[in-house]
Amino acid sequence: MKTIIVGAGFTGVLLARKLVKDGHKVVLVDSDPERVREIGGQLDCAVMCSEGNSLEALENAGIASADALVTVTPSDEINMITCTLADAVHPKLLKIARVRNYSYFMDTVSAARKYADVVSGERRTPFGIDWIVNPEVEAAAAIGRAIAYGAVGEVIELGSGYGIASLPIGRHSPLNGKSLSQLQAVDGWHHLVAYVETQDGPVLPSGSSVLVKGNKIGVLTRLSEIQALAKLCDAPGGTSERMAVVGAGRVGSLVVMGRKPDMRNPDLDKTLGFGWKAGGKDEIVVIDEDLDRCRAMVRQFAGIRVVCGNATDDNIIREERLDRFDLVVAVSENPERNLVTAAHLKGKGATKTIALTSGSSISGLAEKMDVDISIPIRDTVVDNIIGHLRGSAVKSVHTLCRGRLELVECVAEKGSEADGRTLGELGIAGRATVLFVRHPDGKSAIPNGDTAICAGDKVVLIKPAGNTDALGLFGAE
Amino acid sequence: MKDPVAIAISWMLTLAGGCLVAPAVVALACGEYRGIPLFLIPAAVCWLYVWRCRRVGRRAGGRLADRNAFLFVGKTWVVIMALGAIPLFLYGFSSTDKGLVDNITDAVFESVSGFTATGATVFADVESFPKCINFWRCMMHWLGGMGIIALALAVLPKVGINTSALMKAEASGSDRGRLTVKIGDTAKVLIGIYFAMTVAELMLLRFAGLGWFDSVCHALSNTATGGFSTRNESIRAFGNPAVEWICTVFMLAGAVNYACYFMLLTGRFRKFLQNSELRAFALIVAVATGVCTFVQWGREPLADALRHCAFEVAAVISTTGFMGSDYTEWAPAAQMVIFVLCVIGGCSGSTSGGVKVVRWTVLWKQLRNDVAKLIHPHGVYTIRLDGEAGRESIVPSVSAFVFVYFMLVLLTATAAAFSGMEIKAALTSSMSMVGNIGPAFGEFGGASLGPAGCYGTVAPYVKWVFSGAMLAGRLEIYTLLILVGDITSRKAEE
Repeated sequence: MKTIIVGAGFTGVLLARKLVKDGHKVVLVDSDPERVREIGGQLDCAVMCSEGNSLEALENAGIASADALVTVTPSDEINMITCTLADAVHPKLLKIARVRNYSYFMDTVSAARKYADVVSGERRTPFGIDWIVNPEVEAAAAIGRAIAYGAVGEVIELGSGYGIASLPIGRHSPLNGKSLSQLQAVDGWHHLVAYVETQDGPVLPSGSSVLVKGNKIGVLTRLSEIQALAKLCDAPGGTSERMAVVGAGRVGSLVVMGRKPDMRNPDLDKTLGFGWKAGGKDEIVVIDEDLDRCRAMVRQFAGIRVVCGNATDDNIIREERLDRFDLVVAVSENPERNLVTAAHLKGKGATKTIALTSGSSISGLAEKMDVDISIPIRDTVVDNIIGHLRGSAVKSVHTLCRGRLELVECVAEKGSEADGRTLGELGIAGRATVLFVRHPDGKSAIPNGDTAICAGDKVVLIKPAGNTDALGLFGAE
Repeated sequence: MKDPVAIAISWMLTLAGGCLVAPAVVALACGEYRGIPLFLIPAAVCWLYVWRCRRVGRRAGGRLADRNAFLFVGKTWVVIMALGAIPLFLYGFSSTDKGLVDNITDAVFESVSGFTATGATVFADVESFPKCINFWRCMMHWLGGMGIIALALAVLPKVGINTSALMKAEASGSDRGRLTVKIGDTAKVLIGIYFAMTVAELMLLRFAGLGWFDSVCHALSNTATGGFSTRNESIRAFGNPAVEWICTVFMLAGAVNYACYFMLLTGRFRKFLQNSELRAFALIVAVATGVCTFVQWGREPLADALRHCAFEVAAVISTTGFMGSDYTEWAPAAQMVIFVLCVIGGCSGSTSGGVKVVRWTVLWKQLRNDVAKLIHPHGVYTIRLDGEAGRESIVPSVSAFVFVYFMLVLLTATAAAFSGMEIKAALTSSMSMVGNIGPAFGEFGGASLGPAGCYGTVAPYVKWVFSGAMLAGRLEIYTLLILVGDITSRKAEE
């Protein structure tokens, strides 16, 4: 698969790196010669110095033979125009634009939803852009999911009420010291371990893998049982009855919106599945240093408290009793500051903390600082784009364990190798673990070697990053 | 003459002139031939005035400046009230032995009380009046009420005066739901609603057993939340529970913001239910009725207590002032509730008077924010009205209004006290005048000022002060202040 990426910023390069690792052909286009030189030495892909919003440059980059165009320059307008331009000549090309401006994003998303029938023809989307990715909305959705399950760890929803929760094993957990094959004997355990993250890195486990204190396990479980599971792991989840949101920017406002059922935006509901448990009665405090943003916040939401000040200021902590909060979500524009704020309030006594960070590279730092969950905004965006890129068979991709494992939801295509065969016959073991199979009729199953795959089945599997063999079996590139 | 304000006013005057013909027709129909000239003379004066206004409007290039328009509104009120007083004066002059000054004073008081929809009367025995005079008294209410609605909802926002901050209901939000866009059309729709309510009440009253004449008069008086009646004993004289319930409902309906009816007409039920003022109003009415009924329960059977209390609560909060039972004879606790309702008043954008529920709502919300600010000094707060945030900007003007309102009450009461009126009577009657309610508490000169009494015994100069207070209350004080300011600034310019 050949992908042209316009914009070699952090996101562009991160995306290119992951795609190259997966064996894709990538052409990076950027207008800054210095940047192009720098990247050219780092990545195994073509890097061109040119303005992205020129058809000629795109032709030179080989758009005629490309499968997808991703625009991630700092300018929303260039991102959108480049896609629109490409659409005029290559309507079949998959086009993904990152749009940071919330109004542009919402307008386009709403228009796509509202005029789905009017904008007819062959899947004609507004501006000719197939997917619009807004980093803040993606980040807010990830935070919302984490909150909904008690901020115990990252939770990935798989549909049908199932999900994968990442939980640390605590000292007093009955799981501590047991091998996976012994887990069935533990009272209350009826889940499936998808991966184990040890100090040496993540492994796809076998029956003999032993869990020890400090390991993190990814568990396939019912979403409703996550809180109970967290107790079993001795990593009790927090509630969000008293939640402080530090940062009244877009992400903060979206996070609050997710907690306020009456403030939902139907456009976002549809595109993002803001389907988390709504905490309508929760006490929510939003803190920001900017008075204008505070005012905007208080006007947007009824029934929340908005405080103008610095969340790490002792006066504010005392006045608002932030030390007694169940959950602190730090989502200001400054990722480093989010970490510090979250760590500081955790130290003061807040039960659970979530920080919005720039990339997964500092997730380790977050862990050291005792921040419960860090949401890397760039990785969230890149995951989302890759999900859209991986052909129609791939529904979504999530990065786990700091980018070393990937959780992929895909649909088995007709005529693919897997169609009509059992998992045992496919010999998939070792390359990936299939966690979950859902038939088109809605029946779902946690599979074993005898489970047969038919075309149309939705398959959720976990695999090491960079290994795409397993996906090929199901027809995805 | 293309200016909408001028058009509205000249319409109002033409209408007033036309309306003066109506009681003449009543007089003709009832065989009260002596009553006919009482109305035709002022009608002629009125049309002359309109004719002159139209000429002024033409001279001004077809458009009156906003500032002048304001002055014009004020002048028109004064002129119309003078017009309304003429038939009463002529009748008093020809049929009673009162002195000329007393006659003028009473006629003006009655006319101001009529057009401001106050409903305070100086006549102890209205049953002795010819039907045409009683009809005209109720008609003044109705015309005044119509003028108020048009003024408050259609004209004032247009000339940039929106002291009551009510127009948001129709001025904001999506235009898709708006019934009409042009101001003239808005006024027409509002008056249509007003007319429909009058007819509906008229038919219901007739159906409940009242005669045609009484039905018409009370429907006119009630729709405007006025309070004049054809009977000395007001609604109580009929002794008809159905009539009392009908009046209760229509008094409350008259106290609701007409913009709410607008919303209902355009199918915006959600917005209607979201209306903060309406919700507060409903709550106040329910609580007040409940408390009064509970207090009065021992004194009369529950059903009677409920009917009487609901009626008086509606009569006072809507500032109508009809009497279903004399609240001055109630238990003190129930009387106190009625007194509190006097202070509250009806909804903005209606014909009711008083401080208006929306202003109390705003002040209450501000108080709540201030208290919250004590606990959370860095908190940021807003005031939501009708589900819309960011309305804290109106707090200063609302506070100023409430201040000026009570200053005016105190000044009026002081003036009344100089005539020897005791504090209770002076304060409550001033409150009643400024709030355009009608009845008060206490007595003066041996006559009650309550719903069963009248203001006939009050000193003549106090009647003039009260007339001024009624007008000031009706024009929402600010309007009057701007009017005065306009005149003085003009003098300074000259």
